[in-house]
Amino acid sequence: MPSLTVSKGSTDKPAPTSAVCPFCALLCDDLALNQRPDASFTVARHGCRRAAAGYARAPLASEALIGGRSAPLDEAIGVAAKLLKRARQPLFGGLATDVDGIRACVNLAERCNAILDHVHGDALASMSRMLQGRGWYATTLSEVRNRADLVVVIDVDVSQRYENFKRRCLDARPAPGNAPGKGREVVFIGAGKRAPEALGADTTLSCRSENLVEVLLALLATLRGHRLAARRPAGSAASALADLAGKLREARYATFVFTPAALAEHREPAMAAIGDLVDELNRTTRAAMLALGGDDGGQSAVNTCAWLSGFPLRVGFGQTLQYEPQAFATRALLDGGAIDALLWIDAFGEQATPPPDAPLDRTVMLASSRPSVAAQCGVFIPVGTPGLDHFARLVRADSVVTLPLLQQRDSGLPSVAGVLTRILEKY
Amino acid sequence: MLTRLKGGRIYDPENGDDGEVRDLYLRNGRIVEAPADPREAKEVIDISGRVVMSGAIDIHTHIGGGKVNIGRMMLPEDHATDLVAANRHPHLGCGHAAPSTRTAGYRYAEMGYVACFEPAMLAGNARQAHMELADTPMVDKGAYVLLGNDDYLLRALAAKRDPEYLRDYVAWTLNASQALAIKVVNPGGINAFKFNQRKLDLDEKNAGYGITPRQILTALADSVRALGLAHPLHVHGCNLGVPGNVETTLDTIRGLEGLRAHLTHVQFHSYGTEGDQKFSSGAARIAEAVNAAPNVSLDVGQIMFGRTITESGDSMRQYAGSAFADPKKWVGMDIECEAGCGVVPFRYKDRNFVNALQWAIGLEMFLLVDDPWRIFLTTDHPNGAPFTSYPHLIRLLMDRSFRRDMLATINPEAQAATTLGAIDREYSLYEIAIMTRAAPARSLGLKGFGSLAPGARAHITVYKDQANREKMFAKPEYVFKDGQLIVRNGRVVEEVHGATHVVHPDYDTAIERDLDTYFDRYMTVRKDNLRVTDDEVRDDGRGELVVHPTKRST
Ligand code: SF4
Ligand SMILES: [Zn+2]
Repeated sequence: MPSLTVSKGSTDKPAPTSAVCPFCALLCDDLALNQRPDASFTVARHGCRRAAAGYARAPLASEALIGGRSAPLDEAIGVAAKLLKRARQPLFGGLATDVDGIRACVNLAERCNAILDHVHGDALASMSRMLQGRGWYATTLSEVRNRADLVVVIDVDVSQRYENFKRRCLDARPAPGNAPGKGREVVFIGAGKRAPEALGADTTLSCRSENLVEVLLALLATLRGHRLAARRPAGSAASALADLAGKLREARYATFVFTPAALAEHREPAMAAIGDLVDELNRTTRAAMLALGGDDGGQSAVNTCAWLSGFPLRVGFGQTLQYEPQAFATRALLDGGAIDALLWIDAFGEQATPPPDAPLDRTVMLASSRPSVAAQCGVFIPVGTPGLDHFARLVRADSVVTLPLLQQRDSGLPSVAGVLTRILEKY
Repeated sequence: MLTRLKGGRIYDPENGDDGEVRDLYLRNGRIVEAPADPREAKEVIDISGRVVMSGAIDIHTHIGGGKVNIGRMMLPEDHATDLVAANRHPHLGCGHAAPSTRTAGYRYAEMGYVACFEPAMLAGNARQAHMELADTPMVDKGAYVLLGNDDYLLRALAAKRDPEYLRDYVAWTLNASQALAIKVVNPGGINAFKFNQRKLDLDEKNAGYGITPRQILTALADSVRALGLAHPLHVHGCNLGVPGNVETTLDTIRGLEGLRAHLTHVQFHSYGTEGDQKFSSGAARIAEAVNAAPNVSLDVGQIMFGRTITESGDSMRQYAGSAFADPKKWVGMDIECEAGCGVVPFRYKDRNFVNALQWAIGLEMFLLVDDPWRIFLTTDHPNGAPFTSYPHLIRLLMDRSFRRDMLATINPEAQAATTLGAIDREYSLYEIAIMTRAAPARSLGLKGFGSLAPGARAHITVYKDQANREKMFAKPEYVFKDGQLIVRNGRVVEEVHGATHVVHPDYDTAIERDLDTYFDRYMTVRKDNLRVTDDEVRDDGRGELVVHPTKRST
């Protein structure tokens, strides 16, 4: 696989080319990195807080832990294989890894009869349920940047979660020809002042999170020309709703942006309402939705698992495949005492740690940073960060573009795929 | 080691063998000349009386890439009734209409297929498409990259850039996405849908660029000709599924003015507006035009009754089709200033007039186009039906009385509206070998495929000759891929990984500077990050890259 090593040394020399950032699902591919003496990086251009924190982590020392005691990698791999082999029902959780990591997970899961779920499994499962229940009309980052003349951001502090979304999709100039005629208007629906300010929203329809679904439904009713029963549905003036409905009708290409994970317990009804809003608008004009999510390799995990197994995670391997989007949630499995071993993966080092009630002594953890629970795990194996320590491919938030992440340093740390393939050989 | 396949009846149209009894010898993955002494063969397999053809090739099947994967994720109900047991295949999987990659590969091999081509890859999604193809075992593969709805090309056409500039862009796209051919889907129409146009006729202008589908078709067909690609421009025309689109398709054929083109899933583009229901067959008129136009080839996109899912780049037409989604759900997308897609589950019903007539129109097309070298057997998997229905389709083509029995079961008005019952033609084994082997190999420029002559790759299928052609073609006795026995009695016995077929035509690198500027200014991904490297396609040695020659490369 191709690799690229940036200039080493203490001086902040500019990187020879742009790096692709693995630390959220936007996968910004225009970062410039400088390497520090401890092999961590500073981001010289186009980074964000999350990227800065991620790149600032130095690679782990390569030795593994077996029950908290230092051990060579080979030995740890042998113990991990035994631990998984003894298990009746293992769960492969976290799954914060790249496409090759998930490919290896699937191959190993076939041997161990494991279940697969992701650390952001709840939000990902809500997306799958929407897909399987009603579907949607979606769009991608470059379309938003070039076509959207009205962007409605729904109840998420995009600047906190996806800091570069504004720069790359909202502030950027569209290509001539498909440019939104009168410029781009950004509307925020949600609570607080911070989020719309950071977003640079032109208009805010403020509503508390618990009222969000009601407001979206009222907006839908207004769009459909229904009279609203309440003058102030969920605290939003009917006139403000009518105003926004008018803008949506007139927009040439409206886009609803949201983050499934941020919608919390209102997630599914809110997403259904967004789907309905898009459908209603598409009867006469053009509109689409963009869900920002699938961090920590979530998009890659869902897609890779789907093409290899047919199912988007929460799938169990055995005599046949078994798809249980609710029963195979990590939380449900732990609550039901259904699993007796855990393989937990956090290759991005974003502290996606196993839940506190996981059977830690029967846990094999692969991670690129060392959380405090590492010593309590049956086996802890340090791995590289995809796109820093090894070549990786990751699927972007819009589930269309898959980016190549070139190796940026020579830490010698193995990839998740490499470790799992060796566990499979020993199994 | 030399292997002798003894006594088979050889159907090898590339070399004129029509059932001749002849031994085949294989060594090192190739078919070789008969040795002076047959005893040189250390392994002898007696296939006396068996029907022998080269390995089959599917020229148009949606098996990898974003919209295929949406289809998989969307349809757990499709998979629940079609789960593959652990002892059935080397790996688990599932799926009837939207199978997992591995299951698709195993099932293709079990039907005697050795190569499958994904016809709708997006440059922006090429990396994922290739990863899915890499995870499709058993068969060789390749993909056609979509152009003609991308803002870049439309801008270039609107700016009246010279043909050479367009050719460079087309060549760059083929290289970057590791494609074998160029496909255009609803030329300009997917782009027009983003500007809220709901239909786009052949000579209607795209609202954004003032460019017509005809201009796009001609420009792309010219580029393909100038680059010297083996496979002509692969065309999914305007107005898919629209009653009356037979006129569009005839216009398209005329508009090519002799330029080569492959018209795909023509069944969906052959509808008239006659009769009470304003829906009629245009198959005879299309067949007549195709028979008279040697520059045109086609695949049918036959429909079969039952549940499936339609996965298309044609967001404009899929939006219209979404009203008929069954079950009621569908996905549409606008994609990266480049393309779109629509994924709509569907059930074709034999009692429904329109569906029943679609079925008949496809069969009329097969039977009325004279030259089997220019018509290929497809269901546009899974859009017309899953590829697993091919054996049934072959029986319909080869067995007139079976076809008439089936015809008698469909919607009576549709029976009355089709000439199918009056068509006597039955395909011969030789013709089936042409349309599923020799012709697609030629059309795609796959050297060593579709032939059983010495020097050809030892892709061999051996069938027991059975009157029931469906049974016969569903379960070959032996399938060899590159000389290796991979299927025995319709079951995979050895997992192999096929090669990926691509072209790498040269281009003036000045285009890269323009593209860098364009991508850096306007897109959300850098140009070089779209490029799929040779190493990636080789996938750590699991796959192989076969680069085919063009006029601009060797
Ligand atoms: S927005 Fe996400 S991908 Fe972009 S630099 Fe920040 S963390 Fe990395
Ligand atoms: Zn198709």
